[in-house]
Amino acid sequence: MMDYEFKVKTAAERVKVEDWFDYEGCKVGRGTYGHVYKARRKDGVPNPTNGRNDNRDYALKQIEGTGLSMSACREIALLRELKNPNVICLQKVFLSHNDRKVWLLFDYAEHDLWHIIKYHRAAKASKKSVMVPKGMVKSLLHQILQGIHYLHDNWVLHRDLKPANILVMGEGPERGRVKIADMGFARLFNSPLKPLADLDPVVVTFWYRAPELLLGARHYTKAIDIWAIGCIFAELLTSEPIFHCRQEDIKTSNPYHHDQLDRIFNVMGFPLEKEWEDIRKMPEHPTLLKDFKRTNYANCSLIKYMDRHKIKPESKAFLLLQKLLLMDPTKRITSEQALMDPYFNEDPVPTSDVFAGCPIPYPKREFLTDDDQVKEEKTENKMQQRPPQPQQNVQNQQQNQVHQQQQGQNQGNNGPTDPKRIRMGHPHQGQNQSGMDQNNSGHQSGHGHQGQNQGGGHTHGGSGGGYMNSGHQGHQGQGHQNHGQAGGHMHPSGNSMMQQHYHQQNQNHQNQNQNQGFGQRF
Amino acid sequence: MAGNFWQSSHCQQWIVDRQDLIRERQNDLQFMSEEEHQKILIFFCNFMQTLGEQLKLRQQVIATASVYFKRFYARNSLKCIDPLLLAPTAIFLASKVEEFGVISNSRLVTTCHQVVKSKFNYAYAQDFPYRTNHILECEFYLLENMDCCLIVYQPYRPLVHFVQDMGYEEQLLPTAWRMVNDSLRTDVCLLYPPYQIALACLMMACVVMQKDTKSWFADIGVDMEKIQEICRYILSFYDLTKNYDEKKEAQALLAKMPKPKTQPSREENKH
Repeated sequence: MMDYEFKVKTAAERVKVEDWFDYEGCKVGRGTYGHVYKARRKDGVPNPTNGRNDNRDYALKQIEGTGLSMSACREIALLRELKNPNVICLQKVFLSHNDRKVWLLFDYAEHDLWHIIKYHRAAKASKKSVMVPKGMVKSLLHQILQGIHYLHDNWVLHRDLKPANILVMGEGPERGRVKIADMGFARLFNSPLKPLADLDPVVVTFWYRAPELLLGARHYTKAIDIWAIGCIFAELLTSEPIFHCRQEDIKTSNPYHHDQLDRIFNVMGFPLEKEWEDIRKMPEHPTLLKDFKRTNYANCSLIKYMDRHKIKPESKAFLLLQKLLLMDPTKRITSEQALMDPYFNEDPVPTSDVFAGCPIPYPKREFLTDDDQVKEEKTENKMQQRPPQPQQNVQNQQQNQVHQQQQGQNQGNNGPTDPKRIRMGHPHQGQNQSGMDQNNSGHQSGHGHQGQNQGGGHTHGGSGGGYMNSGHQGHQGQGHQNHGQAGGHMHPSGNSMMQQHYHQQNQNHQNQNQNQGFGQRF
Repeated sequence: MAGNFWQSSHCQQWIVDRQDLIRERQNDLQFMSEEEHQKILIFFCNFMQTLGEQLKLRQQVIATASVYFKRFYARNSLKCIDPLLLAPTAIFLASKVEEFGVISNSRLVTTCHQVVKSKFNYAYAQDFPYRTNHILECEFYLLENMDCCLIVYQPYRPLVHFVQDMGYEEQLLPTAWRMVNDSLRTDVCLLYPPYQIALACLMMACVVMQKDTKSWFADIGVDMEKIQEICRYILSFYDLTKNYDEKKEAQALLAKMPKPKTQPSREENKH
């Protein structure tokens, strides 16, 4: 029973999202997580923190479904505590009691790596150049690492890092700053009340998923996030998802994923026992031995893969990438070590504005209508294959941006004389590569379909993620729900002795009568 | 978060001043003594503990729920929401935040029914009166009232850490652990940081188990004044429970609670 007066009083104090913000018709994202709107404070509603008028843009996320789902709870609980320049900041939570909707207010980030990479891919395919500062990839990586270091330092695992979840701020006081987003699945991992795999069986999108997860590891670790960062780094350097794989049978109830592992081995080579000793302890190791032949990958290595993408094996970028993408999770570099890497001391050094003051070539987010969703899904698919007009649906509000972008390109045509500005991902050459370079390793036994599916695949890769990615529902959501648990148990490399002990304590506690305090006994 | 208590919402918003706590309670204290008020809160902590155990939740979840419960009544009268509704709501919310996995609504309500009937019939003659929709509605109010601060730091982890550092782990930890559980029935979780509560419980455990660890406490350089304050709270709880039979007194105590009014009262209409 609730008191009437109490209800009246709290209702009077409660701020309604629609009273403070204009957002109607401004939807910029749609996915399994809900709807995201670009919002402004209404006229005459000052910012409560400083009492001033406020014409900044905000992102308003209406969480899918009603009430407080577990992931909504976690998102609110974690974001409420997190404060770091490279992690998205939760400004306010609106609870709408009538329709039981939950709204989260964030700062607005105009860009994200999924859109940025997509833009570069499209440009590459149409042999156009995109002019960005030479150090942009390095600045992006540096800030991603800083954000993840903060999260890891605070015992938070992201668990779903992918380009769509890496936001970049547009024009404004935080121009060009990376914000790590979509912490919905993040979890505090120093309280292992339950094996992680029991809760969210499948979390990381396959392309960014570390090999130990694909082999049935039951615990998420910091190293799993680091692998994903390695994948994103490679994708920034080449504009291609390094472990691209068709992803139709995402509904499988097993974390073991043959095609994805095949793709990883095609790039990396098959791991040697001495490179990854504990691979034998992985739950799916027997399946691995049964399904794969080392000799099929004899000619594969990260060096060769990156070399084909014009990243030289002796470059500092490559050396760091290699440390991020180590197969053995215990040998993988930590975010802290990565931040100290010589790559970041080499010129050009990272900048806090990843665009380094240069014009931002990427279009602003488009507003979606409900029809658009379907349409966009289709155009995106096509664009992957015939991408010459990335600006097809540009709306009025984006005209500006287009001009800017053209300007950028014009300047770029004077390019070679401008040492600061060079095509992203190709620091060593001005000439564009053509083709998608998907199945370049030559070991595609039974995977002739890969090439066909790459467009759709990429589209899906963006879904379900970032707070405003124009994603597409379906596969991913199902993936999360239907993936069951594979048996076996892998000891978490990230857990200290103390944490394990704590876990034990907890268990004792439940089995015995420790739940009772002295109070009941005295 | 787990890494940094000092920057947490727990530390910055939810370590409250004792005077504020007393002031907020004045409304309820018109109807009952301070001791009776404390006994009512203890009753509902026991209820959450039993409910949690019945649901096979871990102590961490129950402890977090207890803190939510206390936070709500630190700022609101017992009249605002019936504690018998808030208690399962706190358990429900805590189980999601602590990632135990979502308890199904129906299981929660069914378990409430069972627990009231079988374990708390000395306090309640009637059935558990609430349904899922009441709990879901209440959850929004609880979250709102806590200003969405859901991560709660508990003394258990620092306790384990301290005991390991001190030695005598096997003798001391079980005793100190139970004292931490008992501390949930006092106000200390609203007044002191969890590591201080852990130290206080550890100190009392040392006394009970007759371990001389004065030098260890001297070495860690903690404010012993605070530790002793916490000890006094917990000891006074033990004192209170010595001659207290909840089974006999519960009904009378609950009868004294100011009850929510679901309709506007007549006086209000006049206003």
